[in-house]
Amino acid sequence: MDIATYRNDVWGREVLLGVSWDLLWLVCVVALVVIAAHAVYMAMQQRAERPSHEGKRVQRHEPIDRIMHWVMAISILALLFTGVLPIIGIEFAWLTLHWIAGLVLTAAVLFHIIRSVLQKDLMSVWISPSDLKESLDDSQKPGKYSVAQKGMHAAITVVTLLVIISGLFMFAMIDTPWWDRTNSLSESTLGWMFLVHGLTTLALIALIVFHLYFTLRPEKLFYLRSMIKGWISEEEHSANHDPERWAPDESA
Amino acid sequence: MASFDVMPDVQLYQPAELDDALSLADRYATRGWLLGGGQDTYGWLKDRAKHPQAMIDLNGIEALRGIRESAEGIEIGAATTLRDIIRDQRIISDYGLLSDAAASVASPQIRNVGTLGGNLVQDTRCWYYRRGLSCYRAGGNICYADTPDAMNREHSVFGASRCVAVSPSDTATAMVALDATMVVQSIDGERIVTAEKFFVGPATHITRMTSLETGEILTAVRIPAKWAGKKFYFEKVADRNVWDFALVSIAVALSMDGDTIGESRFVVGGVACTPHRLRNIENAARGKSLSDESADAVASMASDGASPLNANQYKLPLMENLVRRAMRA
Repeated sequence: MDIATYRNDVWGREVLLGVSWDLLWLVCVVALVVIAAHAVYMAMQQRAERPSHEGKRVQRHEPIDRIMHWVMAISILALLFTGVLPIIGIEFAWLTLHWIAGLVLTAAVLFHIIRSVLQKDLMSVWISPSDLKESLDDSQKPGKYSVAQKGMHAAITVVTLLVIISGLFMFAMIDTPWWDRTNSLSESTLGWMFLVHGLTTLALIALIVFHLYFTLRPEKLFYLRSMIKGWISEEEHSANHDPERWAPDESA
Repeated sequence: MASFDVMPDVQLYQPAELDDALSLADRYATRGWLLGGGQDTYGWLKDRAKHPQAMIDLNGIEALRGIRESAEGIEIGAATTLRDIIRDQRIISDYGLLSDAAASVASPQIRNVGTLGGNLVQDTRCWYYRRGLSCYRAGGNICYADTPDAMNREHSVFGASRCVAVSPSDTATAMVALDATMVVQSIDGERIVTAEKFFVGPATHITRMTSLETGEILTAVRIPAKWAGKKFYFEKVADRNVWDFALVSIAVALSMDGDTIGESRFVVGGVACTPHRLRNIENAARGKSLSDESADAVASMASDGASPLNANQYKLPLMENLVRRAMRA
């Protein structure tokens, strides 16, 4: 199975065309196998008592962060559907929907970056050496985010930025309300953009599948609730987080 | 690009029954090639720009030939030659728009073997694409016809989405104007699709020009009686009067109420990847008479929304003048 596809240009030279979409099926199969293996492993583990969601609540996500999360989630799903469905044979006028969703995602990511840098504790979501102890010692509880959540965030950040940057280059090649298509990039440069866009799309598909799976796992559902309603219970907080590393606002 | 006098090595099937052709189309899928009159096919294969493994010749299937009357209108088999359409008295008397359009195709020799189905589903004549270059339409990342120095005199002024190729079919505009429906069959059954939806632009299908899926065969075209005997106008402007593709063509069907235009269809060819319907003209023409004044009143609307390329801005006044001539007729 090839990673990239090639064609001949005007001069008969071989130029990069983009990613080989046969990889799409490989990514889907691998992701589903990993999920199945994890689900079987978790089913064999002793089920721990789940903390109650009753009682006092603490705030985990502010409203603006929840809104931006769902804006990004919807735009990424719209991008995946409009981008991938035509590739698997479900063809429709996808391009305009795709770039509109791409612009929404770009704006949401920019807002998220600016807010994270200026108004939030940026380091609370980035992996630090101290987090490594957490993965080696079960008694060590995380701060606001676990190592796995930080890893997922870091991976999605890198992949999303790459897919946005490569997408913006491709965006310049089509008609928009603000400019006419230019055809200004060489075929080889375009080929690299299509390859990066395709590979990051495949990575994003795998990451989204994992994210959905872990979001919907029974022991993690309270995180989904917190991304909808904003709060977790004090009991959930103390059972899953180190209060010294994350002291949330109790006014939720 | 290599070009050869001889055909490449390809497996030839000549089924006599439609079911056999459908089975072959399904079995070979993208590796197969449906052959009508061959007037689009042979260029592709001799230029070695397309490489099918099997060719499925539809000309021996009797069910695909002939012109049949029905309660709803007429049905024309997809393998009916353009010559047969031009000479058919029912079409001449009731659907003169189609016979005029068919008579404008290429040359007498080509019309003798060229089929209606082949004329409708033929591929675009964009020479960058037909040269075998890896453009968007060929699965690549670029449109060679849409660059500052490109030779795009023949290309689109409407509906471009990355690719700027145009539909070359003369009969397609007539079919859209006559509200024809396409009978499409596969081993899974039959589906009917309107001519307007049969032709698709690059925003949806950048690598093909019709909604025909792999394994499907266009078996017939049905023209409703609705437009039988109405007033028609067809004109094709090309660099040569024979053996050439339209720079711009127009197919018009007018339902007249005395001297007044009622419902109408104005469809332009050579300006988009699909036959381009001028709905604004159709709306504006309603209630008007055929006259110079009416023509001048609506003609300029023909180019509304057009985005001409570097070398094809001439298509806008040409299109407007064709509308003007149709309204004067």
